[in-house]
Amino acid sequence: MSTIECRKLRKDYRRGEEVIQTLEDVDIDIHGGSFVALMGPSGSGKTTLLNLLAGIDRPTAGTITIGGRDIGTLGRNALAAWRSANVGYIFQLYNLVPVLTAYENVEMPLLLHALSAKERHQRVTEALELVGLADRYSHYPRQLSGGQEQRVAIARAIVTRPTLILADEPTGDLDRTSAMQVMDLLVRLNKERNQTIVMVTHDPSTAARAGRVVHLEKGKIIDAAEFERAAQIAASGAHR
Amino acid sequence: MNSLLRTIPFTWKNLVRRPLRTGLTVAGIAVATFLFSFVESMRDGVVKATEAGAAETRLVVYRKNRFCPFASQLPQSYQRSILNIEGVKAAVPIKIVVNNCRASLDVVTFRGVPDEGYLQEHIAQAQLRSGSVSDWLSRGDAVLVGSALAERRRLRAGDRFDAAGVRSWVAGVFDSDDAQDRNVAYAHLGFLQETAQRGGTGGIVTQFNVEVDDPSKMEAVASAIDEAFAHDQFPTTTRPESAFVARAARDVIVLVRFASIVGWASLAAVFALIANAIALAVRDRIRDHAILQTLGWTGADIAWMVVMEAAMLGAAGGAIGAIGAHAAIAFAHLNFTMEGVSIEVTASNMATVAGVLLATLLGAVAGIVPALSAARREIVQGFRTA
Repeated sequence: MSTIECRKLRKDYRRGEEVIQTLEDVDIDIHGGSFVALMGPSGSGKTTLLNLLAGIDRPTAGTITIGGRDIGTLGRNALAAWRSANVGYIFQLYNLVPVLTAYENVEMPLLLHALSAKERHQRVTEALELVGLADRYSHYPRQLSGGQEQRVAIARAIVTRPTLILADEPTGDLDRTSAMQVMDLLVRLNKERNQTIVMVTHDPSTAARAGRVVHLEKGKIIDAAEFERAAQIAASGAHR
Repeated sequence: MNSLLRTIPFTWKNLVRRPLRTGLTVAGIAVATFLFSFVESMRDGVVKATEAGAAETRLVVYRKNRFCPFASQLPQSYQRSILNIEGVKAAVPIKIVVNNCRASLDVVTFRGVPDEGYLQEHIAQAQLRSGSVSDWLSRGDAVLVGSALAERRRLRAGDRFDAAGVRSWVAGVFDSDDAQDRNVAYAHLGFLQETAQRGGTGGIVTQFNVEVDDPSKMEAVASAIDEAFAHDQFPTTTRPESAFVARAARDVIVLVRFASIVGWASLAAVFALIANAIALAVRDRIRDHAILQTLGWTGADIAWMVVMEAAMLGAAGGAIGAIGAHAAIAFAHLNFTMEGVSIEVTASNMATVAGVLLATLLGAVAGIVPALSAARREIVQGFRTA
């Protein structure tokens, strides 16, 4: 189980002369085995926070400690090895490699682990069975529906048995039925395998499936009460 | 290292599952490498024919200031005088008849040699593929045909053939290590002189092939021969056989040198082709590389994949082109003949191996810059760019 601690986390981007602050002094603790949904309007910094937690982006300031390890201090290669061992990432647009079959896409992260071909085969088969796509192993991404592609992406994210699963709007590009299936799967992984899940979403009904919802606005975390108040003000403004 | 080896299947799939792109790139590389290997084989043939070996002992005595077998006329009686010169082991009068004195790919060269001695010794060193020397001795119009000429003209023992005004009968086909021998038809000296007599040159030979007993005496013997006939009606020019070939083939040598530049330029084209294909592939796969890095592959892994893909393209195209050139040369039996001297284009293993290795190496080098750019790209930037 990975406990996540972010302290004074800041992320700036430069666009020419302009400095854009996407995260500002974010402090957040996420307990191991919990399921957290990150919500907020576009540009609020949700995906940036997720990328920082995944170690695919670096903070401008502040620390990120995951499982007792400050990942900000890791070099590029060490960070890659850490991601390989600890993180499963699910993208909104699936991001499967188009020249690889479903099986080969799921196998890709395992190639970095010291496993025999037989062990890899077992793990891939198990992951594809878990997402209900064992019969689609030889299909290329172009031969799968959106929902199936996302389930393959989930199989790829869980095949290394990571302690932390990060999902960036995993249902954002799916129809209602596929979205339900994907959410059922994530909830099941969280409950049965006790894997920590942090998920970005715009959809309140999807967020409701998580154990905790964190709201971000203009790069800052706002507490639940403040969020409710802001939501009520926005709603009453709309009624007038 | 393990993870690097594990990238090989992925790289391979990237190539074979994009068949159009891979096919076109490999085809381009193959054509360029074909050209390079072909030209290198030609250069190899020229070098073999014109470079003097340390043990070279054969001189060619030709008529001074004459550059074609038609024009080089020497009395056969010179043989006795040549044999009297110190250091001369043997002197063989040879009458050469060609169907074309200028450089051409299909010249038939007849060499008239004495009935006794020369050919028996030559054929003993060579390998008779069909027919026999006794058949040759038994008929006045008989010729023994070198293997390259026989393959080019599809001649077999027992065939009759006409060329250069000579109507002859094939007594046998022989193989030899010497390109000059492989590309001529040996006839009886008297028969060729008789044939030529109709044109008014009976009793005349084209050249003498002189064997010297010690390679270190080549220059002294050549000077002595030319001095002996300097004030005669038919002055001579004597050169080592390789120098004689080099002089006769000077135009072809210049052409081959020029072609060699084209061959190396074609390798530059291989480099540009692979660099372009890989740069485009890397641009197309920015997202794929970002995905792989998110999964835990390092920038070095990505760079290795890119370099390996470029090297594989080079190796595949190089192998097809170089082996294709090897096969084409072996099949075509190409042979440049000028002034009765042959330069054979033989399939060179060295040129084939060099073609494959250079194309592979150029591929790998061409992949370095795109590989570095792929490796250095930040993951998040990769997702944004794609």
